[in-house]
Amino acid sequence: MSFAERMLKIDRRIIFVVIALCTLLPLLYPVGLPIKISQEVRGVYDHIESLPERSVILLSLDFDPASKPELYPQAVAILRHAFKKNLRVVAMTLWVSGTGMADELLTKVANESGKQRGADYVFLGWSPGGTAVIINMGQDLYNAFPSDYGSKPTKGQPVLEGVNSLKDVTYAVSLGAGNPGVEAWYVFGKDKYKFELGGGCTGVMAPGLYPLLRSGQINGLIGGLRGAAEYESLIGQKGRAVAGMDAQSATHVAIIVLVALCNMFYFTLRRQARQQGSQS
Amino acid sequence: MIFLRRQMPLLITMITGLIFAGQYYVPHPASEQLLTSATKWLQIIGGFALVLGVTSLFQVHAAKIRRKEAGWGYSMVLYAGMLGTMAVGWWANGKESVEGVSTAFGWVYNFMMVPLQGTMFAILAFFIASAAYRSFRARSREAAVLLIAAVIVMMGRVPLGEYLVPISGDISQWILNVLNASVRRAILIGVSLGAVALSFKIIFGVERSYLGGGKE
Repeated sequence: MSFAERMLKIDRRIIFVVIALCTLLPLLYPVGLPIKISQEVRGVYDHIESLPERSVILLSLDFDPASKPELYPQAVAILRHAFKKNLRVVAMTLWVSGTGMADELLTKVANESGKQRGADYVFLGWSPGGTAVIINMGQDLYNAFPSDYGSKPTKGQPVLEGVNSLKDVTYAVSLGAGNPGVEAWYVFGKDKYKFELGGGCTGVMAPGLYPLLRSGQINGLIGGLRGAAEYESLIGQKGRAVAGMDAQSATHVAIIVLVALCNMFYFTLRRQARQQGSQS
Repeated sequence: MIFLRRQMPLLITMITGLIFAGQYYVPHPASEQLLTSATKWLQIIGGFALVLGVTSLFQVHAAKIRRKEAGWGYSMVLYAGMLGTMAVGWWANGKESVEGVSTAFGWVYNFMMVPLQGTMFAILAFFIASAAYRSFRARSREAAVLLIAAVIVMMGRVPLGEYLVPISGDISQWILNVLNASVRRAILIGVSLGAVALSFKIIFGVERSYLGGGKE
């Protein structure tokens, strides 16, 4: 067996070790390379920045713990920005398995910003029905969520003053890890009830949402950990996402090097096979 | 009986399908009220679907355990996990925390479900790297184009990539904004037209597989 053949059949545990080191070392010894801000992320940031105080922002945390590494920092950054701007935050989730995590993150950021539940923010929780919940909220928010996550009646809460349906929401952001997520919020929400919509998603999903972005159906898109890092840089509060970018940089470069090596060995073998073929 | 089993559901589907297709274009309060009621029903039906799903899962795994099929031990783990979570969930009244203090249900969620799901997702990075090394080869021109595009986007999406090849960020954005968006849009239009056609087929009773069975 030639060297190229042996390298192509390399034990996958070696690759695992390379990836593990590329993830671990930058986390232990961060480099802190500068992060360029994209227009997509700036779209969400600029819109929130332009909102007057006490405007209502709806944040739909449509993800579960599997997507926590990418979407949790996005949610934290948006919440910090919204609370800093003194906006009223209405949070909810369309994913039942994300309910506890959404409540925990909202409470954490609200406490850190000195905001009060019921007055400055509310967590509506989860309701069955998927996309039907969006339509129902568009028709009558109190019908879709008669009580919040803490079983407190939603009607009469100061944070929801003047809000009867999605039509009264100034800006909505869906942080989605699948369906229902950003696309569902556009199709069943924005299209009919005419509110401005922004999106956030995992890195894998981002290319699929570019058509919505380019046509103005969403006014901004925060894609994956990179998007979260950009948002953290914009609000000037660097957190988990910025810390994770070095690790992501190293793993991306490692995968590129691995792919380049694999192709180099592949072409070496192919050339050898051709030469042997022409000799015989 | 055949009327109740066949014609009746088809009739309900056709009438409600046509009404709600038209409802979108009628902003009259009565029409809006109709939509409010229907979506509320959908939410309630969604709740029942959850019960149905759990029941079905229990039945499938009960059969596996009874027949001692291959991997029946995993079914036992599933039973233990589900029953245990349901028990603590009922005990905690479905709340993960009460006044900032985590309940037993919250403990199960935060210290079992969150790390387990996170681990499953994190493992993907290792398998993707291994799979990329083994199979991401420029075997043909099309594969070579895909490979080059992937490498540029991977470089352009991370600060180190942009630092090493400064132009990779702009090229990556162009690939995503122009090439990717136009192709995705074409696929979306195709899928949407297909969905419209399928909706018409269901409304007018041409497509009946959703009725199940097949026996008259």
